[in-house]
Amino acid sequence: MSSITTSTGAFFERSRSDIKSLSSQAETLQSQLSSGNKLDRSSDNPVAASRLRALARMDSLSKIDTANAERANADLTLAGGTMSDMADAIIRAKELATQAASSTLTGDQRSAIAAELDQLHNSMFALSNARDSNGHALFGGEAAGDAYQLDATGKAQYVGTAQVDDLPLGEGQSVTRSMTGPQFLSFTGKNGSATDVMATVQALSDALKSGTGTVAATGAATDALTDLQTGLDTLTTAQTVVGSRLNWIELTTDRRTDLSELRSTEQADIGGADLATTMTRLQETLTVLEASQASFTKLSSLSLFDQLR
Amino acid sequence: MASDLLSIGKSGARVARAALEVTSNNIANASTEGYVRRSVAVSEVANGVSLTTPSAINLSGARITGIVRNADTFRQSEVRRTGSDAARAAAEVQGLENVEAALDQTGVYDSIVSFEGSLKQLLSDPTDGSLRAQVAEDGRTLAQTFNTAAQSLTSAAKGLQFEAQDGVDQINTTAGELARVNLRLMRSTDSSSDQSALLDQRDTLLQKLSGQADITTTINPDKTVSVMLGGPTGSALVSGASANTLAMSTAANGTLNFTVNSQAVTLSSGAIAGKAQALVELSNARTALDGIAASIASTINTAQASGVDLQGNAGQPLFSGNGAASLKMVASGGSAIATAPAGAAANSRDVANLTAMRSAFDGADPAGQMDTLLFTVSSAVAGRTVTRDALDTIASSAKVSLQSQAGVNLDDEAVNLMRYQQAYQASARVMQVASDLFDSILGIR
Repeated sequence: MSSITTSTGAFFERSRSDIKSLSSQAETLQSQLSSGNKLDRSSDNPVAASRLRALARMDSLSKIDTANAERANADLTLAGGTMSDMADAIIRAKELATQAASSTLTGDQRSAIAAELDQLHNSMFALSNARDSNGHALFGGEAAGDAYQLDATGKAQYVGTAQVDDLPLGEGQSVTRSMTGPQFLSFTGKNGSATDVMATVQALSDALKSGTGTVAATGAATDALTDLQTGLDTLTTAQTVVGSRLNWIELTTDRRTDLSELRSTEQADIGGADLATTMTRLQETLTVLEASQASFTKLSSLSLFDQLR
Repeated sequence: MASDLLSIGKSGARVARAALEVTSNNIANASTEGYVRRSVAVSEVANGVSLTTPSAINLSGARITGIVRNADTFRQSEVRRTGSDAARAAAEVQGLENVEAALDQTGVYDSIVSFEGSLKQLLSDPTDGSLRAQVAEDGRTLAQTFNTAAQSLTSAAKGLQFEAQDGVDQINTTAGELARVNLRLMRSTDSSSDQSALLDQRDTLLQKLSGQADITTTINPDKTVSVMLGGPTGSALVSGASANTLAMSTAANGTLNFTVNSQAVTLSSGAIAGKAQALVELSNARTALDGIAASIASTINTAQASGVDLQGNAGQPLFSGNGAASLKMVASGGSAIATAPAGAAANSRDVANLTAMRSAFDGADPAGQMDTLLFTVSSAVAGRTVTRDALDTIASSAKVSLQSQAGVNLDDEAVNLMRYQQAYQASARVMQVASDLFDSILGIR
């Protein structure tokens, strides 16, 4: 007799494995729903997992870029503010130089102007040694200490490094986070030699104090006036540079935000479990599971032994 | 000898009773592992025709010629072959999943990225104590996660080796039992119920063997079985009443070698083979992980050597060790990181050496290498899982096909029970008739 039969053992075995695989499917879907992640381990989808790793790495490095950008932003804002103060001081020095250029002044009056110029020199010196957000010299490049020091003659000397290092902003972009003192304080004077604002102010003050006569004093004041104007121009140019760097940081920050949004979207697309789809699939699996459980109960209760009497 | 109604009835009743016994035995063993459905082979007792009385009626009833074991040897060998493949694939996937977990869930990749990030952040202020400390601590975490991953790999390897040794022991025990079954089979009578039970035992033992290793079986005319290990040209494990011993040795890199009677044998399926294959993959993964650890240590240490630390002293190595297990952070603190180039003064904010270190680190690309390693292992797991599922389906359909032919169907047995009960009652009736006939002869007056 050849017929297609199933042994009772095979029937139970098959039902068991079917129901088991259905409930494990339901369990997987449930864990996807509760974790919100489609991937439990890398082998669920190796390519997606590798991509997710790369995205997570970019994300974590991008956070450091953000921190760097904030630091550069703070330093440049500080530099901008200090430069404005410096500009105010130079303008005041120009006013004083204009007064001093007048031939009607007495020696005492010139001495008074010289005294104020000395004060201005001191405050400029203090400003040029301003500190950045980390407590280092703002205009000293990468120097460990001050940017300017007074030499034996009381003259401010630049002791910082020649340049400021760049901070990476991500995506291969970088920004210089400040300026060195000479970059905005030094210029070529009227007489063709290199000088800086503080030296000019000091020289004028010295000339006014020396009391060598009206002609010499007014001459020195006129020269200082020209030099101070050049200094102010240099400073204004530097302020523009600082402003444009701040703009650059803002631009890269916007770009970083955009990229980070793109990354989040990609992460959600690759690794996130879509709620609607997962819910529907879970419902479907549960329905099939219930149906197969019900049919198993019905079939397994069918026994010829119950029917034969 | 003429026919005898009473003895015909008796033989019929005996056959029906034996069939009922076999049926009830089938019902009792409906869910016994390895039990093959039995049935009774019945034939007519033919006495032949006597030459002296050629026209006489010579009927002698029925007799049992044997117990039939409804086993199809082809289906059985298919179950063994496919089961062996499925067991190998399952063992390999399980081993690889352990490797994946060891590399993936210990967070080696994340720790490399953190270290990379803290080096980058140090650029913003190379003399900042907290940023330096962060680099040192992230370096320590990096070394520790490498150590953890290496330990996880070692314990995964230990587990696999232990399980493989257990499998080898099981094979040897099973082979010994099989040899004893062979011996008893040689002595048992053909088609007896004793022999059927022995055959069941033989097939169950063979299936157990095939789950652990790939076996080639030859059924001899006396129903004993010869077993070859590692393909048809492999080594004999069981022949007749003697069994050889399978032995396992572990190489230095953790991979396994097998011998039968000190003769090398290659296993291509079965759980042991799967474990051996997983151990090979594990050893490869460990080599790759060691390579990454060594490249991190040498890249950072080389860069350290060309710079000066916070105090202005020549940079000392940050890491010691040349493998994942031995990688160790040896710097005493953050100040040991050589950010400034050689010749720079103490507290220098010059980041030239840090920049060089970062670009060397980027060049060595440990994060990329780790990603590649993780991808290799996880895609191996994913690919092998597909293979395992396919082999599992094949094996279970072979099993179901054997079961549907050799297994017990309770409905069939219910019908048989009723049929043989009726046959028994009918034979009893025949005896009743014979008695009535005899009585009616005696009743003649």
